[in-house]
Amino acid sequence: MAVKRQKAITWALGLAASVAILLWKPTVLIYGLQTAGLYAAIAIPMGLVLGIVHIVNLAHGEFMMLASYATYFACKALGMDPLFAIIPTALVTAAFGWIIFQITIRRALKAPELNQLILTFGLAIAFTQVINLMFTSQTYKMPLDYVSASMDIGDLTFGTWSFVFIAMAMLFSFGLQFFLTKTTTGKAALAVGQNPRGAAIVGIDVYKIYGLVFALALALVGAMGALFLTKSAIFPQVGSPFTMKSFCLVAMAGVGNIPGILSASILLGVAENFLRAFRGTRGWADIVFFVLIIVVIMSRSLKGRKS
Amino acid sequence: MKKTSMVLAALLLLVGGVFAQGTIKIGGIWMLADITGNQGSKAAQLAVEEINAAGGVLGKKLELVVADDEGKADKAAAQVEKLATVDKVEVFLGGMASGAELGKIPAFKKYNRVVMSTGAAGSATVEKALGPSPESDFYFHLHPWDYNQGASYAEGWDAIQKQYPNIQIKKIFLAYEEGAFGKSSWDATKILFGSQSRYTVDGAPFKSAAFGGGDYTAVLEAAKDFKPDLFLWAGYDADALPLLEQSKAMKFSPGIYLGAPPGWPIGFGSSKLSKNVMLYGMWSTALNDTNAQSKKFYNAYVKKFREEPATYFALLAYDAVYILADGIKRAGTTETAALVKALEQTKYASALGETITFKPSNIIKHQGITRQKILQWQDGFQEIIWPFEAATADPVYPFPLWK
Repeated sequence: MAVKRQKAITWALGLAASVAILLWKPTVLIYGLQTAGLYAAIAIPMGLVLGIVHIVNLAHGEFMMLASYATYFACKALGMDPLFAIIPTALVTAAFGWIIFQITIRRALKAPELNQLILTFGLAIAFTQVINLMFTSQTYKMPLDYVSASMDIGDLTFGTWSFVFIAMAMLFSFGLQFFLTKTTTGKAALAVGQNPRGAAIVGIDVYKIYGLVFALALALVGAMGALFLTKSAIFPQVGSPFTMKSFCLVAMAGVGNIPGILSASILLGVAENFLRAFRGTRGWADIVFFVLIIVVIMSRSLKGRKS
Repeated sequence: MKKTSMVLAALLLLVGGVFAQGTIKIGGIWMLADITGNQGSKAAQLAVEEINAAGGVLGKKLELVVADDEGKADKAAAQVEKLATVDKVEVFLGGMASGAELGKIPAFKKYNRVVMSTGAAGSATVEKALGPSPESDFYFHLHPWDYNQGASYAEGWDAIQKQYPNIQIKKIFLAYEEGAFGKSSWDATKILFGSQSRYTVDGAPFKSAAFGGGDYTAVLEAAKDFKPDLFLWAGYDADALPLLEQSKAMKFSPGIYLGAPPGWPIGFGSSKLSKNVMLYGMWSTALNDTNAQSKKFYNAYVKKFREEPATYFALLAYDAVYILADGIKRAGTTETAALVKALEQTKYASALGETITFKPSNIIKHQGITRQKILQWQDGFQEIIWPFEAATADPVYPFPLWK
């Protein structure tokens, strides 16, 4: 009952804040939500891997970077729009992710966590350097007309393309919820995530599930890599900041809490844009990211201690 | 058998020695993973091959020994040490990032060999560390210092407004990336334009896509509210197209839209949004129509490497080799004092479209180029707008309104 009331209060406060921001400066909310969509869509696959395979993939952003490069060159060669490359890229990155899992990550699953971190960090550096050697640090960007789409409401003009990231994040979130709760493989994955030993005892092939989940997460990362190309220029280091942001969002939401990643992203996206709206606090956007994480994690620990 | 091997080894050493005597080694240091360093080293190699094909210098062949500083000060310092002691180079060239160049300076001073620097615009760091003459006389700085660049922009805009009365600038807004590069651009802009009462200057920072940013909405809203005649952004190539796309989405179209990244992304000119965007730079392919040296370089570079030179740093490196070779010829040696004297007499018709001579700057004695150019993207190509003597097109004004 108390939990329900607390949830209702949080929702009411969130709604009141949103209305206040909307009345004061609507673009803060609009761009905040767009940013949140981007963050969430990138972070959700990391949350999936962390929640089920129990590994922090420090090469997360670099996998997205690889997908973006693959999409760019495929689109250039075939004269194709990156939107049509979303599904093919997802399939290719899923296959690539499965291979990488079998060759490297699988062998480190029983190793201490530090070894796993070093392994994925090594993968991140290797991917970045290979791309650097192949294509130099020169940036690539596909010129696309539709990304400049805008909407006018009275005096207000704002870009609308980035709403696509919100749609993508929702699709990922609800799609994964459906997969994990309604399909046999998804239920098995959930069981493996909660108790791998127990799942193995009842006959679930734990490593097969790990491989599948990793490949699924990489498919989502691949899809995001193709979509990311529509908005951003790409270069070898383009993915690494998103690894850190995704990790922070997953930490804020709590391990395995995929809908929580959406809420955390909204909080951070709107907070960042709120600070950017003031002259004196424009450079604070990165700080608020970490301040919010510290506050959320500390309050969660305090609550845990109380209970 | 043993005796034969020894004779062979001695012969090989002797032959090696003869060949070593027949070369002049140039140590080139760049950040090779970066397009400026990658193409700079290639362009320098091209110049070396051309000079060698034409008979070399003082009867010897030039040999370029390339080293990678990875854009880091410590690596850069170590590479100077290695080139000086292991490879025994006689002169140095290269450089781009001021931070890495700063790391090289103590080692450069230690070995006191002539340096032909192609980058490093940071006067507050690099020029200050070099110090005044005579301790920095070995250092020949081709690239303009940041204050040279600022002064040439102010000069250029004054000249353009005079020549084209329909172009009038009163309000300038600078969107600058929040790192050291952007902040120094902002400081320079405030001093340069803000101190003149006829300009009103405002600015706001943004996080560059190169460092995990890429959302320019806040800075563009601030600019839109300010209604500038000249909108200038100082960031990186990764920001170029996304910034334009978001400007269009927000229907922000100032009279002049100008970008000042170190390089432009591949294919920028093919984007419809690039139309009439202005830029600061030193060279464009348009110069090939008016400058024979530029055309010669361009054709040779494209033929050899099957790619276009993407930034002017390639031309600076190419010119640097020719200037060094010319100086060595006139000095008759690579010995520092004699070579410095010879290089002081340099009058080199550059592929960048100007004659390079060395004059004192604020601190050092040997500054090469002091002016940058104002260019404009027109139909996918960079056309030179100013200086008028090098101009390849008239400016198109105003920047088109977004539809």
